[in-house]
Amino acid sequence: MNQSQLDKFITYLKKNDWSVIGPVFTTEKIEELSPFLAAHQPANAKKTGQILIKHISRPSDLNLDGQLPFYSFKRFFVPEYETLFTYQKNKLTPKKHAPKVALVGMNILDLKAVNLYDQVFEKDPYYQSRRRNMLIVGYSLTPEINNNIFEEKFEEDILEHLPFDIFLAEIKPPGPPLRKGGENMAAAPPVKGGSWGFKVFTGSIKGQRILEHFSYKDYENIQFSGSVKEGATDERMERLRDRLKNHHNPKIWEELGKICIECGKCTLVCPTCFCFRIDDSPSLAADSGERTRCWDSCYYQEFSEVAGEHKFLNSTAQRLHFWYYHKFARIPDEFNFMGCVGCHRCAKVCPVGIDIFKVLKEIEAL
Amino acid sequence: MHNPYESEQAKITFISRQTDSIKLFRFEFIQKVPGWKFTFKPGQFIELSIPGFGEAPFAPCNDSDAKYIELCVRNTGKLTNRIHNMKVGDKVNIRGPYGNGAWPLNKYDFKTQKNLFIVVGGLGLVPLRALILGKNEFLGKENKVQIFYGARDPDEMLFRHEYERWKKQNIQIELTIDKECAGWNKCVGFVPTLFDKHEILQNSIAFLCGPPVMYNSVLAKLKKLGFADDDIYLSLERRMHCGIGVCQHCTVGSYYTCKDGPVFSWAQIKDIPGAI
Repeated sequence: MNQSQLDKFITYLKKNDWSVIGPVFTTEKIEELSPFLAAHQPANAKKTGQILIKHISRPSDLNLDGQLPFYSFKRFFVPEYETLFTYQKNKLTPKKHAPKVALVGMNILDLKAVNLYDQVFEKDPYYQSRRRNMLIVGYSLTPEINNNIFEEKFEEDILEHLPFDIFLAEIKPPGPPLRKGGENMAAAPPVKGGSWGFKVFTGSIKGQRILEHFSYKDYENIQFSGSVKEGATDERMERLRDRLKNHHNPKIWEELGKICIECGKCTLVCPTCFCFRIDDSPSLAADSGERTRCWDSCYYQEFSEVAGEHKFLNSTAQRLHFWYYHKFARIPDEFNFMGCVGCHRCAKVCPVGIDIFKVLKEIEAL
Repeated sequence: MHNPYESEQAKITFISRQTDSIKLFRFEFIQKVPGWKFTFKPGQFIELSIPGFGEAPFAPCNDSDAKYIELCVRNTGKLTNRIHNMKVGDKVNIRGPYGNGAWPLNKYDFKTQKNLFIVVGGLGLVPLRALILGKNEFLGKENKVQIFYGARDPDEMLFRHEYERWKKQNIQIELTIDKECAGWNKCVGFVPTLFDKHEILQNSIAFLCGPPVMYNSVLAKLKKLGFADDDIYLSLERRMHCGIGVCQHCTVGSYYTCKDGPVFSWAQIKDIPGAI
């Protein structure tokens, strides 16, 4: 698939009532996307622009240069704020609302997080109805990350372990010519952003149907074979889990606890943080309102509070440990993969410079 | 697809004052589906909500064979304050029951071999009452139950009008209050004090439920008496939002208090920092 075909495909999706969402380079403020997320945008990025995930109004808006979007695609799967029920007096009415959303250009790190959402929210009717009305178009270019935590890169054999409907694998530019001054050097890449076009894969019947309807037939179907490669052990995961479960070292957490200010930014940008709270929000009309589900953060003091104000996580150190334990011990116990995709977003937004890359090294060094 | 957050309407059919801040409420479901019956195992909990006031977990404390649910509610926040202001006939929403970890009543032969030693403090007696009231069903008529119960003062003793009835069923109950108080001639001191004053039943399994501060001292006493780690069971308190093992508020190590508990054996959780 080349650039003009991709442009046509996006136009096609919009014509077929898909709300198309993808990475866009913009100076737009995050509060225009969601007031809930507003306070967490770095000030300098507001001026110079950054990659945000937002509505694609023209095909040319889509940015596929491989930069990591500031936020992940999390909020389209697990929204920051959603209504579970509306209520009138004592009667609760479940909310049913899931528009057609096409997420285009999801990088493989954010796609890996979808494996987690799919498992955690397997029996959640709100999530499932969103997921049914969603089209995922993945994209192979791996974001360049400083201190790339798990050295994630794209190889075709990971596709069978990723959840997507359609996947665009970048075709690498031809290698440098043997002799200097060869024609290849001069040739401009045919696709905006430096790519030489895309090899197209499908990962679901939905993806195939849509491509067929769009009259594109040059695709290869990949059968999803589970989020984890069978029989393979992830040594890094095993090591971290063992350290956290069997060699608890309070020192690491006490030291970090001295600098962490519990702002919760890391939990907002983390693709695998999905903790939530359930609240009732009354509306202005008498006896009515909504029961909502809203992102929470285990760094907030009231996270573990019970009646009578007792807190089970009663220090910053304990809350930090809780966050790491969830990602590197509890999620591996539950699903046999790590609760971290290695995107490094948490370190980027941390106002006191806590770097997950270094913390993991410390845990392993025990 | 089943919506796990959907609840059933229930109405209050009976209210009884227990202490200044605690009331017992009886709820009956307004049945939509004929033949549907709410059932629970002692140790499990439900989520009760009132639209506009939120949702919170409570442990039923009635005989689990009954057609109703009884909850003992302390007036301590927005939701519980609202419940306290309710009258017979008012409606609430209830979902559940939740928790796979109820008291392990089938693991031991309580009818002929084992005795049951219950150590509770404050509201901790609440979830155990479901078991005490169902004693003849869960345990044998002849087998023995010993209860150590500590409360702040005599007026805070829950279900105190029922103790005489319990005693007739081979249940020994020993009481203690936190501080000296006029008219009280029994034990004074925290729950562990009772261990020094009364012989513990031989061949017992221990069930514990109380405020976090109680657990460490009681566990020390039990270990000294030779109780094995997997013969000690504790009911953990956590703030459950979802009740179904998703929201992460109630996790203890890799366990979910809502899903894997709320009752755990000491062997399961003793190595988890912060579990108690």
